[in-house]
Amino acid sequence: MNESSSAGATRARVPEPETTAVRVRDVTMDFGSGVPAVDRASFDLEAGKFLTILGPSGSGKTTLLRMIAGFQKPTSGDITINGKPVDADPPHRRSIGMVFQKLALFPHMTAAENVAFPLKMRRFDPRTIPDRVKGFLDLVKLVGYGDRRMHELSGGQQQRVAIARALVFEPELLLLDEPLAALDRKLREEMQLEFRRIQHELGVTTINVTHDQREALVVSDRIIVMDGGRIQQHARPIDLYRQPHNSFVAGFLGVSTFIPGEAAEGGLTVGALQLSGTHSSRIAAGEPARGAIRAEQIRIGPTPDSLARCDTKLAGTILDVIFEGERLLYVVEADALPGIAFHIYHHDPESFDLYQIGAPAAIGWNAQDMKIFNAAV
Amino acid sequence: MISRAQRLLFWSIVWFCIAILSVPTIIVVGASVTAGNIITFPPDGFSLKWYGAIAMARDLRQAFGRSVIVSLICLAVSVPVGTLAGIALTRFRLRFANALQVYLLLPFTIPLIGSGIGMMLVFGNWGILGSVWPVGVALAAINIPFIVWSVSSAATALDGDLELAAASCGAGRVETFLHVTLPGVMPGVITGGLLMFVLAMTEFLVSLLLTDARTVTLPVQIYNNIRSIITPDLAAISSVFVVIALLAVWLLDKLVGLEIFLKSK
Repeated sequence: MNESSSAGATRARVPEPETTAVRVRDVTMDFGSGVPAVDRASFDLEAGKFLTILGPSGSGKTTLLRMIAGFQKPTSGDITINGKPVDADPPHRRSIGMVFQKLALFPHMTAAENVAFPLKMRRFDPRTIPDRVKGFLDLVKLVGYGDRRMHELSGGQQQRVAIARALVFEPELLLLDEPLAALDRKLREEMQLEFRRIQHELGVTTINVTHDQREALVVSDRIIVMDGGRIQQHARPIDLYRQPHNSFVAGFLGVSTFIPGEAAEGGLTVGALQLSGTHSSRIAAGEPARGAIRAEQIRIGPTPDSLARCDTKLAGTILDVIFEGERLLYVVEADALPGIAFHIYHHDPESFDLYQIGAPAAIGWNAQDMKIFNAAV
Repeated sequence: MISRAQRLLFWSIVWFCIAILSVPTIIVVGASVTAGNIITFPPDGFSLKWYGAIAMARDLRQAFGRSVIVSLICLAVSVPVGTLAGIALTRFRLRFANALQVYLLLPFTIPLIGSGIGMMLVFGNWGILGSVWPVGVALAAINIPFIVWSVSSAATALDGDLELAAASCGAGRVETFLHVTLPGVMPGVITGGLLMFVLAMTEFLVSLLLTDARTVTLPVQIYNNIRSIITPDLAAISSVFVVIALLAVWLLDKLVGLEIFLKSK
């Protein structure tokens, strides 16, 4: 078949690390609506790593996760877990623990019975089950809560039961389907760190799905950004943030200002204006392109001359000032680029409240921070 | 703030409703303890002699026994069918799900007298009219929507991912059904089952058409007695029905709690 030959070609090109735990090759899911929900997704995940699939709703991230879990069958493509193709295995034959978005704890069982359930179903020696359950309740810090029913536990405690139930049988792979989405911010950040701690302690290979960019950056060893069913970029968190491959990734993580124009040698042409920047891929001069600059990489000052260390300087006007607590967000329109609202983070404690709406101000940045993307992608 | 007048109005409405709902029961129970020989309220003195009388009456006792058998047969048929249908309609994506739902609710749309006559003809054709068990099957058929509804509402309230979670725990389809789905809908099964039992115990019209002198059930027997002479023993039997219904409600509260009725969808 076509798929297998192209997968073979990929295998020959990329030397395979011995510790690959999950291998996804050209996986496509087409529900028949014309646009595939997941379009030829391929990635490898090293054993023991924490991968986050990040994307907006409708990007195909949950469908991809459900195919790995075995709840949905790919239209085409192969999934391999620890060297074993799993395409023919129903979910209960796969060694995968999963924490669900709404947790899906069994309401008629106690916490300990929920955690013991996978052990019973997977035919563990009944004499070892109580100790193992106790050990995992200990791991998730729920000692003494074993006899509680689900409605007697708080949201955070229920999360912990769900984690223990997913891990107690020592699965080859742990899947997290946005389990933190419904929590309030403080509890969510606490649980993010808990996931990281437990994952480090057990070293279990983990795939997490979220639309929360902060969560992805905080917990992951690797991040895959998805949009429109396609993998946009697969990288370490820091590389993803600093070296986005395309304007979608640049816009999805962090706050960026986009400047439409035409590609030019070493930068971007906008009308009569030349802006220097760094091309993220090869674009021929004159092709439509978009420049992107992050809010924390733009400097602000009273006049262009005051921005000594910037190689691009523009005079403009303050459109809006938004107080965000730890920083101010200025929205500035440059005189030379009407219609574009530059977003600028400012958190210099010496000069916190400098500019009022309508006041003149100058902005500037360095050429290496201005990324130029092909506008067609 | 609720004013005094409003409070007074609300409470009068509440007490009016309570009174209207309980008056028939009070009159029947009151009339059953009369010491006289004619059915009257308020009772003519106090005595339990009519309870003694119904306990001694052979026809009533036998009819009661048959009603219990009919109700148990009705349960034996309707609980498995209603539970599986209720789960299937809500938990699985079925072809013809809508048609199936309409088919299962059909008994509600046909007047009881219609289904009764239909079953009488069919059962007569099959030559099973003189037995007790066809009555139980017939009552299961006409009341099946109650248990289907009760189980469906319990199944709808379950988290849609529960079965997937069971699968990721290593449970196959049968294990998932036995350990997760069935216990999850059990409150609905118990509610529906008790409802089916009480409905079968008290069903009159269809039973009247399907029974003869050898197979009368209690409600039909009461009707036969009314046609001759109305004595306080009928009030005593009716009070027994009231007690059975109260027992069913008490049992329901013990087993699943009454909240399921208050928040049922």
